[in-house]
Amino acid sequence: MKRLVAIVEDEAAIRDNYAAAFMREGYAVRCYANRVQAMQAFAARLPDLAVIDISLEEEPEGGFELCRQLRALSAELPIIFLTARDSELDAVSGLRLGADDFLTKDLSLPHLLARVNALFRRVDALRKPDAAAEVIRRGPLSLDAERMQAQWDGQVVLLSLTEFWIVHALARHPGHVRSRQQLMDAANVVLDDNTITSHVKRIRRKFQSIEPNFDAVQTVYGMGYRWVE
Amino acid sequence: MSLRLKLLALGLATLVLPWAGCRYAREMESALREGELNSLQAVSQTIAASLQGRTDLLYREALPADSPAAGLTAAATSPPGAAAAPPAAPAPTGPATPAATTSAAAAASVAASAVSALEPLGPYDLAPLALTAAPLIDGYSDDWPRDPAAWKTFSKDEQHSFRILTGVYERMLYVLLEVHDEHPVYDAGGRNPLDPASYGDRVWLGIEDPRGGEQQVFLASTGPGSVSARRIEPGEYGEQSAPLEPRIRGAWQPTPEGYRLEIRVPLSMVGNRFGVLVDDRDARGATPVSYGTLRSDDLRTLGRLIVAAPELDTYLAQFMQPGLKIAVLTPAGQVLARADALTQGSGLGRETPGLARLYRRFVDRPGERQLIEADAQIYDRDHLQVIGRLEATQTADRWIRLRDHALTRMLNFTLSTTLVAVILMFAFAAWLAVRLARLRRASESALTRSGLVTSFPETEARDELGDVARSFATLLGRLNEYTSYLRTLAGRLAHEIRTPLTIVRSSLDNLEAEQVSESARTYLARARQGSERLNAILRAMGAATRVEEAIGSAERVDFDLVPLLNSAVAAYRSAFPGRTFSAQLPAGPVTLHGAPDLIVQMLDKLIDNAVDFSPAGSTITVRLLAPAQRAVIEVDNSGPPLPAHIEGRLFESLWQSRPDGDSRPHFGLGLYIVRLIAEFHGGEAAAQNLEGGGVRVSVRLGALIAR
Repeated sequence: MKRLVAIVEDEAAIRDNYAAAFMREGYAVRCYANRVQAMQAFAARLPDLAVIDISLEEEPEGGFELCRQLRALSAELPIIFLTARDSELDAVSGLRLGADDFLTKDLSLPHLLARVNALFRRVDALRKPDAAAEVIRRGPLSLDAERMQAQWDGQVVLLSLTEFWIVHALARHPGHVRSRQQLMDAANVVLDDNTITSHVKRIRRKFQSIEPNFDAVQTVYGMGYRWVE
Repeated sequence: MSLRLKLLALGLATLVLPWAGCRYAREMESALREGELNSLQAVSQTIAASLQGRTDLLYREALPADSPAAGLTAAATSPPGAAAAPPAAPAPTGPATPAATTSAAAAASVAASAVSALEPLGPYDLAPLALTAAPLIDGYSDDWPRDPAAWKTFSKDEQHSFRILTGVYERMLYVLLEVHDEHPVYDAGGRNPLDPASYGDRVWLGIEDPRGGEQQVFLASTGPGSVSARRIEPGEYGEQSAPLEPRIRGAWQPTPEGYRLEIRVPLSMVGNRFGVLVDDRDARGATPVSYGTLRSDDLRTLGRLIVAAPELDTYLAQFMQPGLKIAVLTPAGQVLARADALTQGSGLGRETPGLARLYRRFVDRPGERQLIEADAQIYDRDHLQVIGRLEATQTADRWIRLRDHALTRMLNFTLSTTLVAVILMFAFAAWLAVRLARLRRASESALTRSGLVTSFPETEARDELGDVARSFATLLGRLNEYTSYLRTLAGRLAHEIRTPLTIVRSSLDNLEAEQVSESARTYLARARQGSERLNAILRAMGAATRVEEAIGSAERVDFDLVPLLNSAVAAYRSAFPGRTFSAQLPAGPVTLHGAPDLIVQMLDKLIDNAVDFSPAGSTITVRLLAPAQRAVIEVDNSGPPLPAHIEGRLFESLWQSRPDGDSRPHFGLGLYIVRLIAEFHGGEAAAQNLEGGGVRVSVRLGALIAR
């Protein structure tokens, strides 16, 4: 059975273009122009993945509201924010509401598809009870690339997809400096330096909420970051 | 001219107060002077009236017995002790005799009260000066007034002449005689003074005594020095004797021309007539050449002696007060008596202090007379004839002091008023200037701070300055809204363009998945290139906002700048192989409290900028200095110098000066971000051209953390 992707986007042309791309990739697609429509449909049937714009017709923050309601319906449902807004504040609010990823609309379709695929892989991996997953262990850190899940001392660190990929890219080769460009490539995103910096900051904070003395992600000024064991 | 100076000048306008005061003082002085003059006039009139008909005082002529004025004036004006005796003294004796004998013709023609002394001076009449001090009887003339006009000369012929000067001082008549005598001959002296053989040069005095009798006195010197007088006394048998007359004193001194004789005669001995005769002998006992104002045969007096009674002085003295001079003159102008206290202090206080003396200069007109004078006629008993004149002179001392007193107080008051006014105005001006300067600074800095006007000074003030400040604040508020609109315009524009761009790009992405011909694929690639560039522009437009956001959320930590710069420069070496990087860093740590990420980002922009503007293969120098506990990062490149017109605008948003032909999108945000980050660290950024070519951008950061 085809996976169902729900696109909530008020701009018809974009909506249709995304729909076309997803359908070409073999997904079933449902499109909604506003929150009310989308919620009615979701109440009837939950999609396998939701791509949501933040501003929806009359509601400038309708996407956030929708995300919260959707998260209330299902804890596991992957949600991706895809928006024209690129402010740090929006990204933080979106991710805090439980979105798995926060993407800006200048992301190309192939990149978007790659992320969607990755998310589905994670969902699948999480559903498999004991997969012989490819796990990277670096001291207390263990990274499950299949489930895209990070653990520190056995505790799950809730990372967004972009954050997971950044940690993954760093931890795979400890001690090697990864430039911001390399991290962007690894995370399948096109971001500017400041966004990478704030991603790294968020990653540190998440690890520090478990281990207050966490300092494995080190800044190499002018070059990038590296994982230190 | 600053506001301060203008108000100061305005304050000086209050100097019109002391000026007006000076004018007023002058007016007051005139009024005072007028008043003083009037009162002096009144005083002199009064004194003159009291002297009406007093010929006994003025001219020592006896009053007619039936004169009603005599008793009246004597009673009215009798000063204690001074005038009690004199008016009475001549009265008992027969007053008519001398007047009748000496000037019978005048007495007959004129009324009974006519005064013989008022007839014009005859050639033999003597009018003594009123002396101000008693000459010493020593035969020398140096203690006499030097007044050539006062001398009278009598001569017999070419060889025989003498000149005479007479004066009166305190009941004494003084006579100074200078005789031209080629052969002075001294008396033999000793034995009988009336022995003709012993006669030398002799000087005769003819004196009419107050009773009308004539008396002859001669002075004969036996040598220089004091000489005694002898009077001729008729003896019992027609003989004459010459006893010494001790009341008359004399002194004899030889002179190159002859000899000088100084004589003192008590006025009590002298009546109305007096004369001098010189017997000039060329040898002892020889026949003399006699000439003078005595008849040479019987030695009767020829001329009158016009002199006031000694009591007149006493009489005048009772009117004296300091600063006043009273003189009684004959109608012809000869001084009969005077009382002088002009030079005495007025007793109104000590000499005026220095300040008053300074003030006086503003008021006194140069050359102004400091004396006032008044005169009054003295009439005879019947008010028909002027028998004398009274002159009163008063020093300005009294009113000058009154005026000075008022002037000093008034000038002190007005000048201190002026001073206070000037100080107040200056302070007010300074305060206004401070407020205006504050306003000016605020308005100047308001616009440079990217429209970030938060508050404006002086808006609480209730005056016009407050109004100006309020309208400024309103204006700036509106300007702020406008600039913030402009500032967010780029971000909003980027946001608005992003949606259609996303349509284009997603359409292109979809199109690539379709079957398109090779030629169409070329166009597709171009469309993609164009949309990528558009995307890059949008990203750049949002960069400043994102940096501002990043700065807003940045966390400050203590970190060492030296390893940070080291590692960053190492990174630039590999990132820009076309340039040589030189790092000049201090040996010790330079610890700053700030955001290292932002510092690196700032450095990125500086290096980007330096690389863009410097030729390939050139050296870019990164220098860290720590003067005065502040970190300064300098980045030098050898690019073209900055044009003069861009000075100060280099670090503004959306401003750039780049060579043409650069295809990369630039929004002039790089150095603006540098500035934002520098300001976040409490510093500022500046650019300057280097002397040897090239440009230096220096960023001054905040205070260092002491280790």
